[in-house]
Amino acid sequence: MAQMKLAGDTYEVDENGFMQETDRWTEDVARAYAARENVNELTDEHWTAVNYLRNYYLENGICPMIRRLIKETGFNLSKLYQLFPEGPAQSACKWAGVPKPTGCV
Amino acid sequence: MKKRLKLTDIAKGGDAPLTEINLDELTPLPPPYDKVEEQPEFKRLTEEQKERLVCNLDGVVSYAALPKPKNKEEEKKYVEQFVSGLKKLLSKENNWTFLQPLLLSLDYCARCQTCNEACPIYLASGKNELYRPTYRSEIFRRLVNKYARPGGKFKAKLNREDIELNWTTITRFYELSYRCNLCRRCAQICPLGVDNALIAREIRKLFSQELGWAPKELHEKGTVLQLEVGSPTGLRPNVAMDNLEFLDEEFSEALGIEIKTPWDKKGADVLLIHSAGDIISFPEGPISFSVLCNAAGINWTLSSEVGGYDGVNYGVFYDDFQLAKVATRHAQIAQELGVKKIVMGECGHQHKAFMTVADRILTGELNIPRESVMTFLEDIVFSGKIKFDPSKNNFPVTLHDPCNIVRNLGIVEPQRRILRYLCPQFREMTPHGIDNYCCGGGGGLSVMSDVNFTDWKAHVAGRLKLKQVIDAFADHPDPEVKKYLCAPCLNCKLQFRDIFDYYKVKERSGIIFGGLGELAVNAMVDIKKPLIKWEEE
Repeated sequence: MAQMKLAGDTYEVDENGFMQETDRWTEDVARAYAARENVNELTDEHWTAVNYLRNYYLENGICPMIRRLIKETGFNLSKLYQLFPEGPAQSACKWAGVPKPTGCV
Repeated sequence: MKKRLKLTDIAKGGDAPLTEINLDELTPLPPPYDKVEEQPEFKRLTEEQKERLVCNLDGVVSYAALPKPKNKEEEKKYVEQFVSGLKKLLSKENNWTFLQPLLLSLDYCARCQTCNEACPIYLASGKNELYRPTYRSEIFRRLVNKYARPGGKFKAKLNREDIELNWTTITRFYELSYRCNLCRRCAQICPLGVDNALIAREIRKLFSQELGWAPKELHEKGTVLQLEVGSPTGLRPNVAMDNLEFLDEEFSEALGIEIKTPWDKKGADVLLIHSAGDIISFPEGPISFSVLCNAAGINWTLSSEVGGYDGVNYGVFYDDFQLAKVATRHAQIAQELGVKKIVMGECGHQHKAFMTVADRILTGELNIPRESVMTFLEDIVFSGKIKFDPSKNNFPVTLHDPCNIVRNLGIVEPQRRILRYLCPQFREMTPHGIDNYCCGGGGGLSVMSDVNFTDWKAHVAGRLKLKQVIDAFADHPDPEVKKYLCAPCLNCKLQFRDIFDYYKVKERSGIIFGGLGELAVNAMVDIKKPLIKWEEE
C-alpha cells in the first residue's frame, strides 16, 4: 500500500492518492490535498462541496451523482472544475477523504 | 522497443520491463491529434513505485497489490500454484465451462499469424511484439505442453520449446493477460477459429481461482461488492431507488414530460436490468428507457433486490465462480418477480455473460428468456405508439459497435434500423459491424484504473477507436458543428470518457457520446426540450 504525508501525518492511500482510512480525515487533510493541487486557500464554496460529498458518502456508502452534487451545492459543472482543478470525482472526493469511485462509474 | 522479442524472453531479466511505451512509436492519430508533442503525457512510474511494485512487463501496472515473494520458498509456492492451476484448466472436473474451446484453441493454431493484423492493440502499439496476440497464446501453449501434459518436460527440451517457469514469468504473464480487450477480432479472422481472447481470459481465471490474483476493481470492489451490497459501484438498494426518484423528478422538469420509473412490480412482462453505473454517471440512459417503455405502454419494472439493479457481471472477465454467482442471482430475482422475460440494458459484457455464457449455467426454471435491449428498443421505436420527429436529431451521428453485442452475438441491424430512421445524418465508421474495433475498454479494462493503467488504455488500447471516430466525422472537423457518438454500452462509454478527456475531443472536435435510447427520446414529438445537449446550462 502506498503512503502519503498530509498535514504532518502519514496516511495509507491508493495509487491515485485517495485516502483509504476515511475516519482519519480532518479539515487539515483536505487543505493539504488542495495545496498539492496548488489551491492554497479553501473558501466557503470549497467546504460546501467537500462537506456535502463527505456527509453523503458517510450516510450512503457511495459518492453522490454529479447531478445531485450540482443541485445540492448550486454549483454547475464548470464552477466545480474551477473550485476543484481535477474535477468533482478526482479532486473533490479526494479532498473529502473518501475512496476513489470505482465500478463502472 | 523494436528489438525482436523472443518467447523465451518472458522468463528472463528479472525485474526489468520487457518493453516500454514511447508515444512516437505508436500508430499515428489524425489531425488535430497527430502531433506527438501535443499528446497527453504517458505517466511513467516513479522510482519509489518501481521499488515497491511489480512492474516488469511494459512500465504499466494494472494491479498494485501483486505480491512480491519474500524468499525462495514463497516464490516456489507461487510457481507450484501456477502449475496446479494449469492442470486444472485442462481437466474436465475443474473446467467444465470452457475446456472444449480452450483445447481447440490450444491444439489447432497453425501459426499463420493472420490474427496479429486483426488486433487493435497490436496495431495501435506500432506492432510491438509483446502485444502480438500469438505472443501470449504461444507461451501459454508451451507452458501447458510442458507442465500439464504427460511427458511434457522431456518433449519441451527435445523440441527446444522450453520456457522457464519462474517468478518473473508468472508475474509478467499475469499483467500480459490484462493487455487484451477480449474483443475476439482475432478469433473471427482465424481460419481455424482459434480464440486468443479465450486464452487470455483463461489465464486470468487461473490467476484468480488458483492464486487469488485479480484486479481489485473486478474482484474485491467488483463482483464481491456486487454480491454483498448490490453493485460494484457500492450502490445500495435504497440509494438506487432514491437516485432514480430524484432523476425522475429532474428529467420530468427538464424534458417537460411526466416520468415515473416502476420498481419491483410482481408479474410484469419485462424486468429491465440496467447497469448501476449508468444510473450514477450517465443517467440520461436509464431515464430514456423509463420514458420510452412508459410511452409504448409496456408492462415493465426495475428490481431493487441486491444485484437486481446492476446487470454487470465482471466474472465474465476473470473468474467462473463469480460469473456463475452473479448470473444466478440475476435469474433468481427475475424468477421471484415472476416476469416473462429479462431485458438486458445497454451493456455489452452483460449480454455476453447473461445471454450466452449463462446458458450453460442456468437450468430449468432459472433459464428465463433473455432479450437484448437492441431488439427490444427496435420493437418500441417501430411499434407506432410513439411519435417521432427525426429532424430533432439533425446532427452528425456515428455508431460504435460494442464487441459483445455485435461480434459476439451477431446483433448488427436493429440499432442501425433505429438510427437510419431517427438520425438523418447517421454515418458508419470504418470498419464497423462485426468488424468493428473495440473501444479499448473491453475485457474489464474500462473499470481498471490502478497506477498508470488509464494512460495505457487511452494511448494504446483505445487508439484505433479514437482514430475511427475522428475519421467518421472528417466532413465536419469544426468543433462548432455538434456531433454525437452513439455507444450503446456502459463499459464503452467509460472508455470514451477517458479518451475524450485525455485528448479533449469534445473541445477540439465538438463530439459528445451517449447511448441509443437517448437518441430515440430526443426525437420524440412529446418532449418539450431536447435531452441531448452539448453545453451545460
